[in-house]
Amino acid sequence: MFHSGIWRVLCFVIMWYNQHSVKTKMKIVNDLNLKKQAEDLGVKVWLTPGFLFLVMGLVAAVIMTATYYISRNSDDPKILVIAESLVAIVILVIGSAIIRMVEQIAKVNKMKSEFISIASHQLRTPLSAIQWETELLITKYKKGLNEKQLEAVSTIGSSVFRMIKLVNDLLDVTRIEQKRLILRKIYLDIAKITEEVIGGVLPLARARNIELVMGTKKKMPQVMGDPEKIKMVIENLVNNAIKYTANKGKIDIKITTREKFLVFSVKDNGVGIPEEQHSRVFDKFFRSDNAVRYQTEGTGLGLYIAKNIIEQSGGRIWFNSVENLGSIFYFSLPIK
Amino acid sequence: MNKKKILVIEDEATLHRALLEYLVSEGFDVLSALDGEIGVVMAKKEKPDLVLLDIILPKKDGYQVMMELKKNPATKSIPIILLTNLESPEDIQKAFDKGATTYLIKSDYKLEDVVKKIKETLGKKN
Repeated sequence: MFHSGIWRVLCFVIMWYNQHSVKTKMKIVNDLNLKKQAEDLGVKVWLTPGFLFLVMGLVAAVIMTATYYISRNSDDPKILVIAESLVAIVILVIGSAIIRMVEQIAKVNKMKSEFISIASHQLRTPLSAIQWETELLITKYKKGLNEKQLEAVSTIGSSVFRMIKLVNDLLDVTRIEQKRLILRKIYLDIAKITEEVIGGVLPLARARNIELVMGTKKKMPQVMGDPEKIKMVIENLVNNAIKYTANKGKIDIKITTREKFLVFSVKDNGVGIPEEQHSRVFDKFFRSDNAVRYQTEGTGLGLYIAKNIIEQSGGRIWFNSVENLGSIFYFSLPIK
Repeated sequence: MNKKKILVIEDEATLHRALLEYLVSEGFDVLSALDGEIGVVMAKKEKPDLVLLDIILPKKDGYQVMMELKKNPATKSIPIILLTNLESPEDIQKAFDKGATTYLIKSDYKLEDVVKKIKETLGKKN
């Protein structure tokens, strides 16, 4: 009777397994991957909910089997009651351990989230103050400054700008790594965002004698995304194109459609990327050898962040590049 | 031409001063408040053309200030530009839900760009 019961359970499990999709099966396999679970949650393996559930199941099964054999050899109902109570107590103890664990994980998650928020706010406030005071000095009070003083203040200004960019990038990387990069989803006018970006980088392009050309159809279909983050991606691609293009170069920015996607591209005739390094372009902190030689400034985080933003928005980012001839970077976003 | 009246509600002294000096030099008539409570009182009394508002403020935060101004018929049409260093999508969404016209992250905007946004918003209003 006991064996036929086990057989029935096994049959049920096999039937259930055959009925469910690969995705569901993969989810179950992932749920059973305790090491991965521990890494994701930032706790020890023996503290993961999966492990505790397994222990609870095993202990319950052992005690129930023991109860079955005891009840077969004993007619005393007290023994049965004691055994059943034991099962209930064990389930209760492990259950409460699971609840405590889940609470602890929730607390740690909340703390991590609060840390990012506080760090971001507290770092940005003094940086904004330095940025604005420097701007005031350069734009409104420069009369009293001699050439060297003005140069020093300008250096403070550009350094603080880089610092703000670095803080923003590091915070975004932290969010990506912790799977906390939350993106807004609203209708976007990519052409308008691109025009804003071009307006911002035009002085730099002019200073380097680089021609910036933008080509787009008059009416582009709407896409959805986070306007600030998509602007950041476009800024990154256009800035890279300017940074790695020699004087008198040319940059072509295009917005087109391809099937159900809007495709944005930036083409330059700059230093390009060596072929053997193509596979690492979107890696965190990666900068190609010739890029480092050409432009020492740069963290190698921009394209890593851009890739995560675009992919999380439902699109794709890719490029073609030939060393010493130039690069074309593309990203696509689904048309809504 | 009449000077446009801007109410700045910002508690961070350095940022507050830099904003005030820049806006005055750009030809605006500038009023200022160092906390949300005074900000609401001044907005109701002075009826500025635009409010430049921080979120983390003593006494009443930026969201409360916005709610009170949007509830009052005399101040509900005043455009509000949020100028803050909070940048989570939740904060941005909440700000627009409560009636913000524009949301700017301080560290990402030079004073020159803040003024551009103010002029753009005032232009739309007129």
